[in-house]
Formats: sequence, C-alpha cells, structure tokens
Amino acid sequence: MRILSLMTAVLVGATLIYGSMDMPRWGDPQSPASSHVSPHYLRHSMEDTATPNVVTSILGDYRGYDTLGETTVIFTAGMACILLLRRGRKR
Amino acid sequence: MTAQIPILVVVIPLVSSFFCPLMGLWRKGLCYFWAVVALSLCVLASFNTLLTVVETGTIRYRLGGWAPPFGIEYVVDHLNAMMLVLVSVISLIVAIYSKRSVEQELPEKITYFYTVFLLQVTGFLGIVITGDLFNLYVFLEIGSLAGYALIAVGEDGAPLATFRYIVMGTIGACFYLLGVGYIYISTGSLNMADVQQLLPQLYDSKVILTAVAFLLAGLAVKMALFPVHVWLPDAYAKAPSATSALLAPLMTKISLYVMIRVLFSVFEPHLSIERLPITDIMVWAGFLAILGGAVMALAQTDFKRMLCYVVVAEVGYIVGGVGLANAIAIKGAILHILNDAVMTAGLFAVAGIVMYKTKSHNISDFHGLFKKMPFTMATFVVGALSIIGVPPTCGFFSKWYLIHGAVIAKHWAFLGALLLSSLISVVLFFRVIEIGFVFQPSHEGDTHSGGHTVTMDEAPASMLVPTVVIAMAIILIGLYNQTILSNLITFAVPKL
Amino acid sequence: MFEFIVGYYNYWMYVGLMMIGFYAMMAKRNLMKKIIGMNIFQSAIILFYVSTSVKKGGVTVPILEHAHEAHEAHHAVDIMQYANPLPHVLMLTAIVVMVATLGVAVAICIMIHRRYHTLEEDEIITSIKRG
Repeated sequence: MRILSLMTAVLVGATLIYGSMDMPRWGDPQSPASSHVSPHYLRHSMEDTATPNVVTSILGDYRGYDTLGETTVIFTAGMACILLLRRGRKR
Repeated sequence: MTAQIPILVVVIPLVSSFFCPLMGLWRKGLCYFWAVVALSLCVLASFNTLLTVVETGTIRYRLGGWAPPFGIEYVVDHLNAMMLVLVSVISLIVAIYSKRSVEQELPEKITYFYTVFLLQVTGFLGIVITGDLFNLYVFLEIGSLAGYALIAVGEDGAPLATFRYIVMGTIGACFYLLGVGYIYISTGSLNMADVQQLLPQLYDSKVILTAVAFLLAGLAVKMALFPVHVWLPDAYAKAPSATSALLAPLMTKISLYVMIRVLFSVFEPHLSIERLPITDIMVWAGFLAILGGAVMALAQTDFKRMLCYVVVAEVGYIVGGVGLANAIAIKGAILHILNDAVMTAGLFAVAGIVMYKTKSHNISDFHGLFKKMPFTMATFVVGALSIIGVPPTCGFFSKWYLIHGAVIAKHWAFLGALLLSSLISVVLFFRVIEIGFVFQPSHEGDTHSGGHTVTMDEAPASMLVPTVVIAMAIILIGLYNQTILSNLITFAVPKL
Repeated sequence: MFEFIVGYYNYWMYVGLMMIGFYAMMAKRNLMKKIIGMNIFQSAIILFYVSTSVKKGGVTVPILEHAHEAHEAHHAVDIMQYANPLPHVLMLTAIVVMVATLGVAVAICIMIHRRYHTLEEDEIITSIKRG
C-alpha cells in the first residue's frame, strides 16, 4: 500500500512538473495571467469602486459572488459541526 | 423581476437555510415545512428558467452587472436548464419524503439536518448554473461539506465511511483546483466562454494537456468512476435514508454534467475528441465501470450497497456514452443522466421506506413485503424494470440510444457490456422480488386469523406519495421521451 | 541552464510540497496524520497559485499608492509596479475553504474517537470486524 501510494505520488508530481514546462517563466510581466484580466482591475479599480486596495475591490465588487460563496462555506462548516457533534440531552 | 430569476434559483435555498436554525429554535417541527416551502419556490424558479431558455435561447446573467471576464457570469443553456429542473424537483420530492424517516433516524438533529439539506441543494444548484470555473469550485465545496455532514450522522460505521469520503473528495476537489490553476496560468481568464475562445492557439501546450488530465481526474473521483469509486458504497449505504435518497441520484450526475461542460464548452470537441485520446479512454473506463459495478452488485447482501454498485454501473453508461463521441450516443448519455437520477431516487426512496418499516436494509429482510407494502413494492418493480431497460419505462429509451450509438461507433466491447449488464440487472432485481413474494411467518405473525394472511402495513402517506410520484415520473418520462429529446436534449448536444 | 531553473523552481518546489501532503493523505494509517497531509496538500496549492502573481523587477502589493490624488488628476496607473491581484483573491477564498474542510474533518474524527476510542485506522477496522 505504501509503495503504491509512493508511486502514485511520484507519478502525479511528475505529471505536474511536466505540465509546468510550458508555463511562463516565474515573474514574467508579459504572462497571460498578468496581461489579460488583471490590468483592467488595476486600472479601473479607482473609477469603478473608489477603492485603492485592488484585492478588496475584486473580492468585494468584481468577484463579490465568490465572497458570498466563501461565507456560505464557513456557514455550512459551522452547521455541519453542530449537526455532527451536538449531543442530545440524556432523557 | 423576472430577469433576476436565474440568481433566485440559488439564492432561495441559501437564504432559507440561514433562517432554518431560527425556525428550529422556535418550534422544531417548522423546519420541515420551511424546507418544503423554500424548495417549492426553487422548483418554480427553475421551471421558469427552463421555459425561458426553451423560448429565447441561452440566458446570460451577469452577477453585479460586471461584464465577463471581469465579473462572474451565469450561463444557462438547454443542458443547464434541464439539470436545474432535475436537481430542484428531486430535492423537493426527497424533502417531502424525508419527514418520517428523519424523525425516526435522527430525532434530536431535525433542525440542523434540514439546514444542511438546504445548503446541499444550494451547492448543487450553484455548480449547475455557473459559467465561471472558480465559482464552480466554491459551490462544489459547499455541496461537498454539506454532504459529508449529512452522511456522517447515519448508522454505525458512517463516520469512518465519511472520513474516507472526505479524503478522496478533497483529493478530487484539489485536482480540479489544480486544473483550473493551470488553465488560469496559461490563459489568464477564469470565465468558461472566454477560456474557450483563448484556448485554440494553446492546444500544443503541455500546460493545457496537464490541465485537462487533472480536471478530468478530479471529476472522476467526484463521480465515482471505477476504480476511484471506493468511497461510494460505504458512504451511501450507511447514510440516513433521506440523505442517500438525495445524494445518490444527484452528486454523481452533477459531476458528470461538469465533465460534459469541461470537455465540450471549455475545451472544444476538436481537442477532446480528435487531438487527444480522451474519449477513447472514456469508453474503456465506462466499459470497466459497467462490468465492475454489475459484478460487485451481484455479490451484495445489503440492499442499499447493491443499489450503490448499480449507481457505479450507471455512471459507466454515461461516461461511455459521452466517450463514443457521436451525436446519438451523447443524446443517449444526456437522457440517461435525467433517467438515472429519477430511477435512483425512486429505488433509494423504496430502500428508505423499507428501512422505516423493518429497521433494516438487508435483502433477506424483504420477506413478504409484496403483501405488506404493495404500493412500495410496485414502485420498486417499476424502478427495477427501468434499470433493466424494459419499455415503456425511461431506462429503455436511453439504453436504446446508447446501444445505437455504440453500433454507429462500431465499439462492440461497449455494446457487449451494455447488453450483459441488462442481463445481470435482471438477476439482481428478480432475486429481491422473489424474496419479497415469499412470506415466512417467523416473527410475531398476526393474532387475528391464525392463518397465513398478512395485514397490509403500508408506509405513511408522506413517504409513500413522493415515491409513487417518482414511479409515475419514470413511466411518463419514458412515454414522453421524444418530446424531451426534441425540445431540450437535441440543443444540449455539442456540435461535433 | 541556470536561467531555466530560476524560471521554474517555484513551481517545482510547490509540486514537491504537494506530493508530500498527497503521500501522507494516502499512505498514513492514523486519521489525524491524513488530515495533516490534506492540509499540507491544500496549502501547497495555495502557495503555487500565489507565487504566479509576482512580476520581475520588483513589485509591491496591489494597493494603489496616492490613489485619490492620482484619480483626481487623471494619472494612469502603472501596472508594472503592482503585483497581479487576482490569484491573491482566489486564494483568500481557497484558504477559507481549506479551513472549513479541516474543521469538518476534525469533527468527524471526534465522532470516530467517541465511538471507537482510537484514531488508528487498523484498530478501528478490527473493532468493526469484531462487532
């Protein structure tokens, strides 16, 4: 079982590293991730949301729905823990 | 107002789950009715969405008014709309059905059970309706966490089964997140439609290859594709009856829907079918799943575990059908998603009723049930015929399209697996039906007549009526399958 | 050769970390060690994403400096000065998801411990088989 797990982990790691061969170099300013959607957020954050903190403006405004989802995840985990752990009163 | 209906489909269960604990503090019995009311409104909203999509085409709803790819977008096309209606209707039916079962199995946990139930439905609906890759991950996790809790409050042995499910489910979700990460690093966008436009020039990139591999591997764990299905039998067999009736039909089908979306709406059919051998691998994976599921089901003595292996085999049908990559097979696969969800819901509902009445879900405890609970067992027979594939039940028609697609693709191994699994299903279900007809007066018996007459001890109406409704739906979907195909599914099949 | 390594070593490091966590999730017998492995795996994914947000030549956090004055005067924002904000945002959500999953997993461990008084998988399975 341990050998199988080790082989699986090495295989998955090798696949991930193989996949990273074609990635943009670390820190490349012209990479697709830095030049497609992000410049819009940096340039328009002040006029759209009047917030200098761009992470906040994305989190709260542009992608605010993801933040609602994240809040729901916390709520779900809380309700799940109550459902799992709460013991009824011994009658 | 009607323009906001797509978001209401997700928001109604979400907001009502926030109020459910408050309802429970006031009066415990209210939670059930609150959940049923919320899910009924959700069903209305999803039917409205379906009718809008059938009349006017794809709905694109921008959350917060921001244009994609800068904001999140909901894209509802025919496939989506069908899944929305499917998920909300089955959730409503299971919620109505669950009252007595939850009162018997989880008497102190009713409030929080319904809260987490509503959150689970929110997660499912959020996965189905979204057009953004990362938003899908967030709702996938909402659904997963709720599912873990709903399963772990089951019978003895459920917590360990859930722990194994957590480990495998987290691996699946993290592989999905890694795949999304690789797509983001190479394209810079997270919106499905935007990525589809940006990808064609990147098809030679190793990053995209790895992204496809990890997305599909993560989804394979979530949909219990053989051989990573090992979490499913333990988890769904030991879960409470209402939970398995909700999760078993829906969780795997929603992961199958995400797989279809990823293969055909994010990566175009050109990549999935022609450039990479993904679809060939999928047919063989489906072949193994069908045979593995059918054979393992034969070995079970526990009714719910047998049904779980039937679910594993059904996932094999759909994966193989999509893998055959011709229009008829994909039509059959999408129709089978609809049919299988309804059939599985019906069968697990029957298992829940048997559990409620006889406190056990062992096949050997099915003695004499045909006389004691005729309506329940009639539903069971309808569900069994549908899994075997007997007209006019819906299972026959989707199997027919899958067989036709296998013949067109000349994939004889998959065709053989389809036919063999129908035979094995006959053996499987007739074994249960045979035991059900034999009555052994080994227990209390009846004191009145002293003979061998059995009093009819049918399930309570709140459990029986939803089950019978599902049985009628199985037959109606079969009779009206041409209408469903021509109005909905033909538009849902991608252009190949 | 050296440039090749410098260009990719962050990805390799985080993949190595991920695989340590992945191996722990699968191979360890103690339930808490599996949970710790899960945590390592998810944390490594988060670090992997965040590492892609940096730009060469020295960037600062994506909080616009002197933003209000620049906005009044209609100066353009120099995007080369700031790190890419989007991975940070996505990973804030992923961190929350990771913590929530950790919470539910540990709650289930508590349930298992209440019932079987052990957290070793072998002992639990033996205890179930004994009935």
